[in-house]
Amino acid sequence: MKVTFTLNGTEQTFDCRPHESLRAVLRGEGYYSVRFGAETGETGAAAVLCDGRLISAEIMLAAQADGHEIETVEGLNPPRGLHPIQEAFVETGAIQSGYSTPAMILAAKALIDGNPDPTEDDVRDALSGILDRETGYLRPVHAVLRAAAILRGEKVAPVEPALIEPLVEPGGTPDMGAANSPLNLPPLSPRVIPSPEVPETNVVGKPERKVDAVKLAKGHAAFVDDIERRGMLYAKMLYSPHAHARIMSIDDSAARALPGVHAVLHHENVERVRYASGGQSYPNPLPYDQVSFDNKVRHVGDRVAAVAAESIEIAEQAVKLINVEYEVLPAVFDENEAIAGNAPVIHDEPDMEGAHDAARNIVQHIEAEVGDFVAGLESADRVFEKSFRVHQVQQCPIEPHIAIAWLDSDERLVIRTSTQVPFHVRRMVAPLLGMPVRDIRIVKPRIGGGFGVKQEMLIEDVVGHLALATGRPVRLELNREEEFVSSRTRHPQTITFTTGVMNDGTLVAQKMRTVGNTGPYGTHALTVQMVSGLRGLSTYNCPNKKFDCDVAYTNTPVAGAYRGYGAPQALFALEAHMEDIATEMGMDVLEFRRKNWTKVGDPLDVAAELGEGAADMKFIPVVTSSGMDECVVQGQRAVGWHRRHELDWLQPADRPHIRRGLGFAMCMHGSAISGLDMGGASIKINDDGSFNLLIGATDLGTGADTILAQMAAEVLGVPTADVVVYAADTDMTPFDVGAYASSTTYVSGMAVKKAAEEVRRQIITRAALLLDVDVPGDIELKERAAFAPDGRSMSLEQIALHTLHQDDQHQIMATASYVAPDSPPPYAAQFAEVEVDIETGQVTVERLVMAVDCGVPINPLTSAGQVEGGMVQALGYGHCEEMVLDETGRMVNARFGPYKIYRADEMPAIEAYLVQTMEKSGPFGAKAIAEIPKDGVAPAIRNAIFNATGVPIDNLPFTPQRVWDALQTS
Amino acid sequence: MQAITGYHRPSGLDEALALLNRDYVTSVVVGGGTVIGAGSLETEAEAVDIQACVEASIEASPTRIRYGAMVRLQDLINHPATPPLLAETARREGPNTLRNAATIGGTVASAHWESELVAALLVHDACVKIALPDHVVEVSLEELLGDSSLAERGIITSISADPSGETASARSGRTPADTSIVAALGRVVASGVRLGLTGVAAHPVVIDPADVESLEPPGDFRGTPEYRKELAGTLTTRIVDLLGGTA
Repeated sequence: MKVTFTLNGTEQTFDCRPHESLRAVLRGEGYYSVRFGAETGETGAAAVLCDGRLISAEIMLAAQADGHEIETVEGLNPPRGLHPIQEAFVETGAIQSGYSTPAMILAAKALIDGNPDPTEDDVRDALSGILDRETGYLRPVHAVLRAAAILRGEKVAPVEPALIEPLVEPGGTPDMGAANSPLNLPPLSPRVIPSPEVPETNVVGKPERKVDAVKLAKGHAAFVDDIERRGMLYAKMLYSPHAHARIMSIDDSAARALPGVHAVLHHENVERVRYASGGQSYPNPLPYDQVSFDNKVRHVGDRVAAVAAESIEIAEQAVKLINVEYEVLPAVFDENEAIAGNAPVIHDEPDMEGAHDAARNIVQHIEAEVGDFVAGLESADRVFEKSFRVHQVQQCPIEPHIAIAWLDSDERLVIRTSTQVPFHVRRMVAPLLGMPVRDIRIVKPRIGGGFGVKQEMLIEDVVGHLALATGRPVRLELNREEEFVSSRTRHPQTITFTTGVMNDGTLVAQKMRTVGNTGPYGTHALTVQMVSGLRGLSTYNCPNKKFDCDVAYTNTPVAGAYRGYGAPQALFALEAHMEDIATEMGMDVLEFRRKNWTKVGDPLDVAAELGEGAADMKFIPVVTSSGMDECVVQGQRAVGWHRRHELDWLQPADRPHIRRGLGFAMCMHGSAISGLDMGGASIKINDDGSFNLLIGATDLGTGADTILAQMAAEVLGVPTADVVVYAADTDMTPFDVGAYASSTTYVSGMAVKKAAEEVRRQIITRAALLLDVDVPGDIELKERAAFAPDGRSMSLEQIALHTLHQDDQHQIMATASYVAPDSPPPYAAQFAEVEVDIETGQVTVERLVMAVDCGVPINPLTSAGQVEGGMVQALGYGHCEEMVLDETGRMVNARFGPYKIYRADEMPAIEAYLVQTMEKSGPFGAKAIAEIPKDGVAPAIRNAIFNATGVPIDNLPFTPQRVWDALQTS
Repeated sequence: MQAITGYHRPSGLDEALALLNRDYVTSVVVGGGTVIGAGSLETEAEAVDIQACVEASIEASPTRIRYGAMVRLQDLINHPATPPLLAETARREGPNTLRNAATIGGTVASAHWESELVAALLVHDACVKIALPDHVVEVSLEELLGDSSLAERGIITSISADPSGETASARSGRTPADTSIVAALGRVVASGVRLGLTGVAAHPVVIDPADVESLEPPGDFRGTPEYRKELAGTLTTRIVDLLGGTA
């Protein structure tokens, strides 16, 4: 059928089928800004304007648009430069991955067109239909307000960091008088507490624009799906309907006979090659318990077969025609039941490699001890023990997993994929496809969020197999339900802490017993649990520590990497436990922690046992920088901690069913995996004195490309805009382990700094020749030029042209890599304010404040955005997100809405503070910031509920019935 | 949306009804499209898009406010004569992308058990006009919810409500904008409080506050039957108190 509508001001007619969505038609016409988020429309990534109203093009039939006016962000784009709304989004740091930014910009346009002077509530409502896993909505909301002001003709101030006086003198005590006086700061300004130890810089430490801002704000082709390959086939997967079953037979004849079907793959026609799917360094940690297609399925959503066909519709139809006969087996979902000894055995295949005790479903057993736990416990004045349960959640990037594979003209396999680990994927997929690494190229374009779920070789083998089988390009994209149940999730855990304490509050013994639930495959099973142990047992000093962990196979969806990587689970239990101990001992909850938390000079002794790179660790790491004291008092002031014991505030007289509370949690994370994570960078100069920076590091929207460009620019004396970043492409860029373990700033940053320093050395050598300066080291690079000590200068362009074209020609360039011997911990203080309805159990989170010591924030704007967005994702973990399985193992809420993610119009107040410290081992003093925002929100909420009601709740999340049940029981 | 095999946009109600009542062809009504478009169809059907043949106007008088079935929820919210409880609950039906598309007619036709707007319409004594192949009927919303066959083979064309009376609402959910696990909505009427509840039955119900104890709610992962029953009692008490204890 034909439909005619006005698209961006021009009436056009399109062919479409009755069932096709408006999104499908628009993307087919090359309007790439209209992106897939969920086939049910809740993400808003595909939002467009229809007659000036924001609607989701995912759930609007193209036929419904006939006769209407449709606008996409392409209609807003000026030929060069940005529309004022787009400019406001860039200036405010409102763009992270940018996947849904075009939708937000259209929402802003629709709002401002009808209401030039909107309130914050108006803006939040306007953005309510666009889910954001990245920014925490703060910056997009204020970007819209700023855009409205600009469009009204008002002048707006630049977005600069708000510099805040420290409250803690070096080596001194906090100024608690000042800590009780709240600040009134502009919401957009990154709040920075500067350190006098940090030297002046020109580019580093400044709120620079994201280097990829233009293409993201304008909705240009940037993501995996934003290309077209001639003759492309579409893949769909057949997934298991059973939690545990043996495939007795599989008949694909009807599927193969369907016109338009080009390949059907399953265990009978794909070679059985064992692998572990976690995107980790060589050799991948055991077990190798997966194959591309198996003769057994181990969870609802497990792979059974894959089809490549001329269209998605044909592929879906073909999947339904595959006839599989299953022998359904008993299943087990609880980690403790799974390892009890009488549970169904999930891995009974003979070629299974590397599980600790497959017959008992124990995939890993981990033990570590420092000192003598038993003796320490015996010496304690008091002993406390408590168990906690943390649940299963999904990362929910708005862009789901997607990959497109094709054979290039040399018949090498190219896989364009949404991955955090392109180099690991290349190495890992090669043996599965029976190809040498040299014949595989992985291209990572922009990524629409990852959060760990894309630290995996998840679907690349499937598109690779299908491309090789058909000789045609093949595209596979997971739909939202598949993303929930067939990708990766956060490990549920049962955690028991046993702690011995002296009467003065000193910890003398602490044991953490963990049973992790990895689902049926042990990807990341070892290392996530090791990080749990590391974070659970190194945040506080204690001479006698023990970690005892089993990781269980179960028939739940597979667990894997998720931002925080074991730390959010551990710190929930630890910080709840510490709160309870302090309360029972009658101590101030902050003073008890302060007495015990690790400080500069303290050893992180358990890291030598539990660090991922522990095998290579030759020494016990020591804390070299910490702003924890400052973080706590800044957070206290921001959240109004003094109200914690004020009865009038705790129990508002006008609402007798409401109780208020404030909670705190300490957070400590790492900066990369010491001795293991490696990043590489390559820099070359261009004719005009600009530079190309090639990195294997993987920007997921975090701003990694930007801060790495800033570091190069700082060394080379140029603005950030003169550094053109390309990443990541296994054919073109140096190796990098990828985006995980909070390593990019610290490790890849140091590689960039080293490469830039070598390029700088080459530049000043040539400049010394041209400027007739005897000692090249006397040359200074700044303002795009090389300056002699006497003030004479030569531009970098002149130097580049001379070097490339005129005399003793050579390419000024350098490649460097870096592997970190250390992993200096960032610290943070997380505060939460809640209201609890004691009659219904409803918890309302009113405010979240996090003060983070990330060393020197390379870009305060993107750093603040990381903290704000991370806190909101962590809020979901603690408060409302949960994967719910029925008794057969089927997820009952695999859709946004039932799986509840916070919207812009229901957010608590959020504030991020960046407490500077000078971490001398990091590039320009930097430590990591990406993951620590995930660590403290859940325990801070738990402790706030405890403060409000006197009831400690030890299971997540704090949904109304769970809280109500706990209140009844108490 | 693959289940949609044909698309029609009739210009008049008679044509729409004829399309809807063809032999051997399964047809579905598409209003805003937020339900059908979201993939709710399990079997193949042809879409009958009623945007050109069903009213989208709002008419207000002191005693009734009448919404054409194609009135979008956002337009209902924006209309100055819309009673506060209807505006509040329409806002709670979903984010603005949904409210800009979804219609009041579609919301009533779906009558989701957790729909606060449907409960608010019940509280406001809503009546529903339905065009059938050979006649038009107007029934109370309460009656329609009790017997959905009344709208079979027909098209909802308008909904009217009594805008008078003080109202109040109370609810419990996981987050402030979450679909309520249970919501209680009340309006002061001559006989006391007209109470509507969501999340306690297969569709929103209007019930005498004194009879809440007799409810036997279904359960789901957000709330067991026992919890939902407790919530219904607690929230009802709040509504009655808020409205001056006029139960």
